[in-house]
Amino acid sequence: MEASFEPKIIALVCNWCTYTAADLAGTSRLKYPANVRLVRLMCTGMIDVKYVIKALLDGADGVFIGGCHPGDCHYINGNLKARKRIQGVGSILESFGFEPQRLALRWIGASEGPEFAHHMTEFVNTIMQLGPNPSKARMIL
Amino acid sequence: METFLKNPKGAHEAVRDLLKGLLENKLADAVLVAARTPYSQLPMPMLIADGQHLEKAVPLLPVAPFNAARQAEALLRQDAGRKLALVLRPCEIRALVELVKLNQCSLDQALVIGLECYGRMENHDFLDKYASGEGEPAASRIDEQLLCTACRTCTRCVPETADLTLATFAGGLEKGIWLQAKTEAGEQVCKDLELGHKDMDPGHRQAVEELKAGRGQADRELVEAMARAMASMEDFQKIIADCINCYNCRRACPVCYCKTCVFVTDVFQHPPEMIFRRAEKRGAVKLPTDTTMYHLTRLAHISHACVGCGHCTSVCPAGIPVADFFKTVARKTQELFDYIPGRDLDEPIPLLVFDENEK
Repeated sequence: MEASFEPKIIALVCNWCTYTAADLAGTSRLKYPANVRLVRLMCTGMIDVKYVIKALLDGADGVFIGGCHPGDCHYINGNLKARKRIQGVGSILESFGFEPQRLALRWIGASEGPEFAHHMTEFVNTIMQLGPNPSKARMIL
Repeated sequence: METFLKNPKGAHEAVRDLLKGLLENKLADAVLVAARTPYSQLPMPMLIADGQHLEKAVPLLPVAPFNAARQAEALLRQDAGRKLALVLRPCEIRALVELVKLNQCSLDQALVIGLECYGRMENHDFLDKYASGEGEPAASRIDEQLLCTACRTCTRCVPETADLTLATFAGGLEKGIWLQAKTEAGEQVCKDLELGHKDMDPGHRQAVEELKAGRGQADRELVEAMARAMASMEDFQKIIADCINCYNCRRACPVCYCKTCVFVTDVFQHPPEMIFRRAEKRGAVKLPTDTTMYHLTRLAHISHACVGCGHCTSVCPAGIPVADFFKTVARKTQELFDYIPGRDLDEPIPLLVFDENEK
């Protein structure tokens, strides 16, 4: 079981930076684990905490959020809003036994293809060590 | 400034005198206060424009069917060209402050009269015990065990931002009630009504401290027990297992202010195929869906603003201790953002301020 664990990762990424970085990683033929499902959003500032909660309750093993570096947001401060909300929801999920490492927020600029591949590899490794999301194994009301 | 509002018939009559004075002297055009309808012993928030109706006002009774901040908001959401005096409990004032910060209403036309609050009983407990109106406890302190859990563990039982405070904890309630002016507007009202200053009952401070200390202990015990009881998602499922998705807790919550909650929109009216797919993926799915999702989302959306009034628990038909887990999570969220809801109108809501350089 442990050996064959293939984590499912939901990555919510900003159109202007992290998604573009993912594109760059692809065109540069960089390798990163195939466990990551990218969801492209116009801005991390549009992430409602529901998205994170839903993913984890429905069995995602980790949620990765990638946005622009502070100061670089296409919409001025969407990434800063995301940072506050993610801090809040992270603390709440922790109260219910979710390991805080299952939720990651990273800044990855449009030109940072290698950084994108690096962060994805690192996050998948972290989740591999944590093991499967325990809420996958039980009925969630 | 402090003064003692004397009335040989007791505290309630003294409060009515004060409110009558406000109306007669045009210091307020109407008063929002808990008062009885002719049909039940349970008081309801009532907007009283004619002083004669004040005889039904019973703001000091240990019962409250609502957090009246929502009723206050309904009266203050636009300028009605009238001045309103409101008699509110501390938790109601805190919620009102949060609603003002959320631009739902304004206190420009409001005179807030807060009361030091011994707590409230659940509606049915109150009605069972005092159905005939006899032996009513009025403002004197009642056995803590009769109070709802939220009030038994409430340490913020003294109004923090009111213009005037009815200091019930100072005692002497059989002969009247102590009044404290806490803002310039409050001082002005006392001047206009020509209430003379009288030094505060020296036992007041100690009474407040003692009550807070006892409740603080009860509060810590509750939060610790709850944190243990919901330490995993499986444990939390047991706590909310009987939830019937009625969303009463959301309606009762004074700070859950969205006009249309996402949980009643199309977002959660899943197409049948999606529900079948969920069942096929997991083997079975409980209907209605998204119960856990609902509670966690509400926690994530507004636990930073939870004022701890406990009305979510009171309205739950399934007996789920919503306020207990809310309080437990809110404690952490409020610590994280270093925020105390309802404390100060000028303290910004943490999710609405952000700085490039913060952590």
